Amino acid sequence: MDARLRRVNKEIADCKNDKQSNISIELVDSSPFHLIGAFDGPEGTPYEGGHFQVDISIPDSYPFQPVKMKFITKVYHPNISSASGAICLDILKDAWSPVLTLKSTLISLQSLLCSPEPRDPQDAEVAKHYMTSKSSFEETARYWTQIYAGGPGKEDMGKACDEGLRDEVVMAGLDRAHVDQFEALGFERSKVIDVLRRMNYRGANVAQINDDRVVEELLKS
Amino acid sequence: MSSNDEYSDNEYYDEEDEDVYDMEDDGSASEMELDGTADYDPSRPSRKLYEVDYDTLTQEDVGRLMIADVENISGIFGVDPDIASLMLRWADWNKEKLIEKYMDNANAVSVAAGISPPEKAPEGRSQSSSSRQNALGPRRSSARRGAQDSVKSGKTKLMERISPPIEDAKFVCPICFDDTQTETLALPCEHKFCKSCWDAYITSKVRTEAESRIACMGEGCSLIAPDQFVRSALEDSETWERFQELLVRHFVSEMPNLKYCPYPSCTHTVSCPSATKSSLATTVPIVNCGASTTHSFCFGCNVDSDHRPVICAVAKMWLQKCRDDSETANWIKSNTKECSKCQSTIEKNGGCNHMTCKKCKYEFCWVCMGPWSEHGTSWYNCNRYDEKASVDARDAQSKSRASLERYLHYYNRWANHEQSKKLSVELYAKTEKKMEEMQVTSELSWIEVQFMKKAVDEVIKCRTTLMWTYGMAYYLERGNEKELFEDNQRDLERAVEDLSELIESPFDPEVIKTLRQKVTDKTVYVQKRNEIVLEDTAKGFQEGRWIWNVPVAGLD
Repeated sequence: MDARLRRVNKEIADCKNDKQSNISIELVDSSPFHLIGAFDGPEGTPYEGGHFQVDISIPDSYPFQPVKMKFITKVYHPNISSASGAICLDILKDAWSPVLTLKSTLISLQSLLCSPEPRDPQDAEVAKHYMTSKSSFEETARYWTQIYAGGPGKEDMGKACDEGLRDEVVMAGLDRAHVDQFEALGFERSKVIDVLRRMNYRGANVAQINDDRVVEELLKS
Repeated sequence: MSSNDEYSDNEYYDEEDEDVYDMEDDGSASEMELDGTADYDPSRPSRKLYEVDYDTLTQEDVGRLMIADVENISGIFGVDPDIASLMLRWADWNKEKLIEKYMDNANAVSVAAGISPPEKAPEGRSQSSSSRQNALGPRRSSARRGAQDSVKSGKTKLMERISPPIEDAKFVCPICFDDTQTETLALPCEHKFCKSCWDAYITSKVRTEAESRIACMGEGCSLIAPDQFVRSALEDSETWERFQELLVRHFVSEMPNLKYCPYPSCTHTVSCPSATKSSLATTVPIVNCGASTTHSFCFGCNVDSDHRPVICAVAKMWLQKCRDDSETANWIKSNTKECSKCQSTIEKNGGCNHMTCKKCKYEFCWVCMGPWSEHGTSWYNCNRYDEKASVDARDAQSKSRASLERYLHYYNRWANHEQSKKLSVELYAKTEKKMEEMQVTSELSWIEVQFMKKAVDEVIKCRTTLMWTYGMAYYLERGNEKELFEDNQRDLERAVEDLSELIESPFDPEVIKTLRQKVTDKTVYVQKRNEIVLEDTAKGFQEGRWIWNVPVAGLD
C-alpha cells in the first residue's frame, strides 16, 4: 500500500479512536485525501461554545509537504481571513515537520484561537480591530461564533431594536451611535458600515479620525 | 605562491586569510589548484580595452573549490569534512567569520549550524578556549571511526545507522506508520525514521523546494543532514546530483567573484575577480560562461546581457527612465500643449480654440498659441498664425518642450535599434534563404556564401552597441567629449545601416562576386567601427573623460 494512503488512513482511524481530544475528522467523499476536520472553540475565549469546521486537503507529497487547511466556518480572528478562512500558521508553512499529524495540526489550530498573533496577521482589518480595542474585538468574535459557529446566544447583547441592522454593526465591531451619526448625513447604511470598518473607527481610534475624513471616504466610495 | 596559470584560490580572500593558510600545513593549499581551469584560460593574447579577464568554471571546478575550503576548515578545526561543510554553509562560506565565531564559541557554532542538538550545547561553556579545542578532538575521531560506540555517542556520531534494528525489532516509523521497514536512519538528535521516509523527504526538499539545507524531520528539530547522510538516504542518483548542484549554487551565490550562468539549465560558473564594485564605474564586465557562445551576460548587473559600452549604473538608469517615461512622454508630446504664460500642460479635450488656462486664467488660441485678445472679433477662427505675439508664444512653448524632445530623440533611436535587433530572427531566416538561393544561382559553395551570415551577426552585434550608445549619450554632458562620442556613434550607425541595406536588398546573380566583395569589406569596416566605439568609450571611462549631466549612483 502506498505510504501516503496508509498514513492518512491510520491518522483518520487514530482520530476516531481518540475520544479525549474532541477532534473529529470526516471524509468528504470516497477519497481519504479530502477531509473535514472539526473541533470546539477553546474555553475562556470568545470562540467558546462554537463548533469549527476546517477543510483539509492532503497534497501528493504529504507528509513531506504540509497539509492544506482552511476554515469552513467563518471565524473572526487576526490570523484567519474573515473572507476566505485562510490560515496564517507557521506549521502549515515552513515550520511543518513530517511527524506532525492531522490531529496535532488541528489541535494547533485550536490553540491558535486561544492565542492570536496580531503582529503577523492574515486579516489586517481584524488585527487592527484587535490592537485598538480588544474588548470590542472580543465582542465581535463572540458574535461571529454565535451566528456562524453555533455558539450560545447572549441575552444581554441587545440595546436591541432593529435586529437585522444591529447584526451588521456588531459584526463589524462598530458602535451603533457612530453608524447612525453618519447615516444621518444621508449616506447608505451599508456603505457607512463598510467605510467605518475599513477606517477602523473603533475605540480610541475614533478620537483620532476626523469626521471630515470619514465623509471624504464616504464620498469616494 | 602559484604560477599564473593555476587557479589561485588566495585571490578570493582578503589578506587576513593568508594567516589561516599559514596555520595550516601546505598540503591543502596545493590541492586547491585546479588543473581543469588552466585550459580555460588561454591568457587571451591581446585583450581589448573593453574586455575583462575572467575564467569559466564547470560545476566540477566549483565543487573542487568548495572541497578546498572544506578541507581547509576541516584541517583547522580538526573536524570531519562533512561537519566543516555544514559549518561553512551556515557561515555563508565566509571562512574568516566562521573561524572567528568558532574560536569564540565552538559549541554555539555547532548548534547554530545544525550539527549538534542544543541541549548538549551548555557543556564546555566554562572551559577555556584551549580545552574546548580538546573537547572537539574526540568528536572528530569518533566520527571517523563511525560505528565504534564511544561514550559520547549521541553527540559525536555523525549518523546512526541501525540496520536491521536489534533492540526494538518492532520499529514503527512515526511518519509512514510502517512496521515492516528494516532500515532506519537518524541524525545525532536520534529522531529515528525509516529510510524510505528520509528518501521521500529529501527528494521532496531537493526537487520541489530546491533546498540544500535538509533539516531533521523531527518537530522543531533544527539539525541539518550532512552530505554523507543525504547520500545514504537517497536511492535516486539524479536527486543526489541535483542536491550537489544546489550546494554549488549556494556556494557561488555567496562568493562575490563568482557568478552562476543565468541561462536556463546551464551549470557553468564564471569567475571574474576584477569585477569589483568600484571597477563597475569604469568597466563593463561582459563575460561568457563557456558552455555556449550565446551564454554571455554582464557580471556586474542583470540589466541586459550586453550593455556595452555604457556602464551598469547608467544602463540601469536609462532603462528605468524608458520604462517610466517613454509612453507618458510620447502621449504628452502628441496630445498636449503648454500654456504660453504659466507652462502648465494642457490637454484639449473638446470645444473651440479659445482656451482659458485653468491655472493662470490666461486666454489664448489653441491653434497659434498667441493671446486671444489679438484675435479681436474673428471668434473661433484663427487667421493670425504669423502674428509676432503668436510666434513668440510658440517659441516659448518649443523651449519648454525641448527637454522632452531631447529625451524622445534618444529614446526613438534606442527603440529603433532594439526593434531591429528583435527582428533578427527573421533576418537570419531571410538570409538563410538567400544563401541557399545564391548557391543555386551562382557557382559559390556553402562555405563561400557564409559571408552573409557573418554580416548579419555583425549587424546585430553593432545594433546592441548602438542601442546603448543612445542610452549613454542621453546622460552625457554637452561638450567636445560628447561630440567625439557622437561622431563615433554616427560613423558606426552609418556603416551599420549601409551594411544592413546591402544584405537586405535583392541580389542579382550576375554581380554576386562584387556583392560578396562589397559585403565582406563592409562587414570588416563595421567591425572596425564597432571596435572603435567600444575601445574609445572604455578608454574614456578609464581616463574619466565622460561627464554625466545627472548624478550617477555608485560614482562620486
